Amino acid sequence: MLKNYFKIAFRNLLKNKVYSFINISGLAIGMAATMLIGLWIYDELSYNKHFENYDTIAQIYQNESNNGDTETSEAIPRPLEFALREAHNDNFKHIVMSSWNFPWYLKYDEKNINFLGSFMQEGVIDMLSLKIINGKPNGLKDLNSIMLAESTAEKLFGNEDPIGKILKLSDSFEMEVTSVYEDIPDNNSFSDLEFVMPWKFYITWQDWIREAEDHWGNNSFQAFVQINDNTTMEAVTNKIINVKKERSPEEAEFNPEIFLAPMKDWHLRDTYENGVQSGGRIENVWLFGIIGTFVLLLACINFINLSTARSEKRATEVGIRKSIGSHRSQLIFQFLSESFLIVLLSFVLAFGIVLLSLDGFNNLAAKQIVFPWTNYQFWIASILFIFITAILAGSYPALYLSSFNPVAVLKGTFKAGKYSALPRKILVVAQFTVSIALIIGTIVVINQIQYSKDRPVGYDKDSLIQVPVMSAEFSGKKDFMRMQLIESGAVVEMATTSSPTTNVWSNRSGYDWEGKPEGFQEDLAWTAVSYEFVETLGLNLIEGRGFSREFASDSTAVILNETAVKYMNIENPIGKLIRDSDYNDPDPAPPLKIVGVIQDYIVQSPYEPVKQAMYVFDAYENESYYNLRMNPDRSISDNLETIEAVFKRNFPNVPFSYQFVDEEYGAKFRAEERVASLARIFTILAIFISCLGLFGLASFIAEQRTKEIGVRKVLGASVKQLWILLSKDFITLVIIALVIGSPIAYYMMSQWLQKFSYRTDISWTVFALACSGAVLISLLTVSYQAIKAATANPVNSLRTE
Amino acid sequence: MIQIKDLEKFYRTEEVQTIALNKLSFGVKEGEFVAIMGPSGCGKSTLLNIIGLLDDPDSGSFMFNGEEVSGYSERKRSELRKHNIGFVFQSFNLIDELTVFENVELPLIYTGVKPAERKKRVEEVLEKMQIMHRRNHFPQQLSGGQQQRVAVARAVVNKPKLILADEPTGNLDSTNGNEVMDLLIDLNEAGTTIVMVTHSEHDAKYSHRIIRMLDGQKVTENILA
Repeated sequence: MLKNYFKIAFRNLLKNKVYSFINISGLAIGMAATMLIGLWIYDELSYNKHFENYDTIAQIYQNESNNGDTETSEAIPRPLEFALREAHNDNFKHIVMSSWNFPWYLKYDEKNINFLGSFMQEGVIDMLSLKIINGKPNGLKDLNSIMLAESTAEKLFGNEDPIGKILKLSDSFEMEVTSVYEDIPDNNSFSDLEFVMPWKFYITWQDWIREAEDHWGNNSFQAFVQINDNTTMEAVTNKIINVKKERSPEEAEFNPEIFLAPMKDWHLRDTYENGVQSGGRIENVWLFGIIGTFVLLLACINFINLSTARSEKRATEVGIRKSIGSHRSQLIFQFLSESFLIVLLSFVLAFGIVLLSLDGFNNLAAKQIVFPWTNYQFWIASILFIFITAILAGSYPALYLSSFNPVAVLKGTFKAGKYSALPRKILVVAQFTVSIALIIGTIVVINQIQYSKDRPVGYDKDSLIQVPVMSAEFSGKKDFMRMQLIESGAVVEMATTSSPTTNVWSNRSGYDWEGKPEGFQEDLAWTAVSYEFVETLGLNLIEGRGFSREFASDSTAVILNETAVKYMNIENPIGKLIRDSDYNDPDPAPPLKIVGVIQDYIVQSPYEPVKQAMYVFDAYENESYYNLRMNPDRSISDNLETIEAVFKRNFPNVPFSYQFVDEEYGAKFRAEERVASLARIFTILAIFISCLGLFGLASFIAEQRTKEIGVRKVLGASVKQLWILLSKDFITLVIIALVIGSPIAYYMMSQWLQKFSYRTDISWTVFALACSGAVLISLLTVSYQAIKAATANPVNSLRTE
Repeated sequence: MIQIKDLEKFYRTEEVQTIALNKLSFGVKEGEFVAIMGPSGCGKSTLLNIIGLLDDPDSGSFMFNGEEVSGYSERKRSELRKHNIGFVFQSFNLIDELTVFENVELPLIYTGVKPAERKKRVEEVLEKMQIMHRRNHFPQQLSGGQQQRVAVARAVVNKPKLILADEPTGNLDSTNGNEVMDLLIDLNEAGTTIVMVTHSEHDAKYSHRIIRMLDGQKVTENILA
């Protein structure tokens, strides 16, 4: 029986090549898009699943309130560790203190390479189930030990056995390689942990870290934990939530709350709003999940429409089969197996499309998705996917076709009823509603990105580079280097900063100033900068001046941005003093004198207002970056070559590296741009699939009305009149879809824009553009068939009687 | 075999209701060959569809083989149909996508006959209809007469007790038409009951009895044999 069904199905496919092509290619594209999205979602959801202790690992976070705003951060103070170990140790299998994962130079022989690594406590090995492939099981026991990831060991030692070898950290500390662990694969936190060194080394290394031991206010560290199997994240959080408040009365005013962020949330739910978890990438997972479902539905709608439109052709067969004794259920099964066959063919094609486009897709989505050939879950999902698609696409046609009355069909009086085209029309409207909503959505996302890119940055980011100078060798060389670089002709000005130009690494509080409101808890972005800071960045002074070598007193000067002046409520700021609130101490820090106010410039998110910021004169060698304003009269490559030569001459042991500030700034848009380009592709696919269906329907209608067109032509209708006649119905459907789709899209995109403080409006031009685009594309699609039918010779169509 | 009593059937459109069958009563005995004649619209095709269990009467009784079938469900009707009734249509109604062999095989598939047995029986009947040489052709590649022979072959392959023929020669020239009528006579002589709707007095003469209808009612009945 099944053989008979498939035979008929195949012969029908071959006989109606255009329909088969539209059906199969439409479904294949839809299925490929859905499969890619499926792989992407799977990849997102499997983030961190590599870790055996996935369910019990957490990071310690804290909420702190400032003037009613609660901020959430993974930065915690050192004494928290001791408090947890002392009072709550029975909840944890491991508590692992850790530094930030930072780039460090590791030197062996002639090789001096930059690697990302952290200082961590020994528990990390068991917590992350690090697989030791060479050396000691616990490589963090000794103070001067270092554990290397496999790839790091390979880069430094090649084929040599690294165990027992001595490396130089930052060209100064000698560390012995104790073990090598297997690389942590992509798509996991810690995948960039290229080496681990002992925490106990870190805490003896610099004064400020040593001193942080009992400073509850110094949130500069992180802690990972693994909880015991017999407890839950919530239970542990409830126990530790007030630990900081209780132990540190000074910090209690910030209402610090300590809580666990489970590993499963790190990647997908990493956004906190006012101390409450409020989403993150999970929103994209939903977004693309919905888009994927829609694209598949669009393709299924094509199938449904074309099958039911062509039903008259299949009606005779239904009538004959019924008169021979077929049950309706057998016919339903026949048509379902037919759609199953088509879906199966489409899947094979989709499979090929996915294989071919996976690289490009990975590029676009910044992913390393590998086709899961050996994952049995994938194959089960694929089989389910085929069945679901076949049922989705095939159910309605099967029910519809099998319902025909054999009497009417066999007498030849069968004509699809007046309302039989209605479901088809509704489905076309649904298709175009989705397509139009996607078009509008994509335009709004692109507009928002463009709008934020067009926002004045407040400084000149072109031909500005930043050179990281965190290595100890740079210490005390900034004035000398500035002279050398300017003399070389490649640089016109240079300033140092303690944070990169495009980020804030330090936020400070604990100041006092004239007119400070009672109980005001300030939170200021803090950057230490050198003399020519204003000139180098090209900042706009509103009041006062930049730091100057002519004023010896500038070693205790400070520049504020506009927002900080308003935020701190300082009138006539120039000359006013800002004191550290420890001024009652026997040895107080000297007060800072405001010498200038600069126009706000964007440092962090281009979607948010600029944060209140203070720029203090760097009197203590706090520099992390040299900012170099390159000579505009020379080419960038010449400048870079010269600059590199100057650095090599002065610091032969430090590899030269730099970043273009405008590129770093551009990176802030990357996440949204990624969403935009994915959305754009799926929108194009959706439109393509919808138009494919429209094309098929149009050709069917043209075919069905051939005789009518012939008669009209004989009676004197012009090609134009016929074209309008045939196109009108379709365009009406598209316009209905516009009316439905536009408000939906408006609502959804307004919601989306809410997450940006600095956001574009959704102007009427967006709708005008989407609407005219949709009408134009559908008109082109329909017109081909309409004009073809209208220009055919009526003699041929009328003779076919 | 067939007992019909006070059968009524109406057709409704939005404005008018037409009576297709008006209290019609008659019977057909096993092994009979009955021709039904009458002008267009007299209800003869409706009657044939009801006898063929393709259509339901609005009222009245229809006994098939001693069973009252007028209230049967769709599923029961199709069961009864596929085991007992074969159809021959004016416009042949072969499935274009299937070959001659496959078209004839179809009823056997629905009654669940095993493949080997199917092959034997299809070949047997194709042989009898002298269309064996065309077994792998598609319907469009055959003449009208050949197509109708395939349709007859399909109607009889299941060895039905009753064959319903709706103007079987209507689309054929006289030579081909006579050939088809000869086939029907052969079948009838072998014991198959036949009910045939026709416009052709010539064809009707092959039957045992002619029922003439007008406006959904039986007007006369001539017994020929």
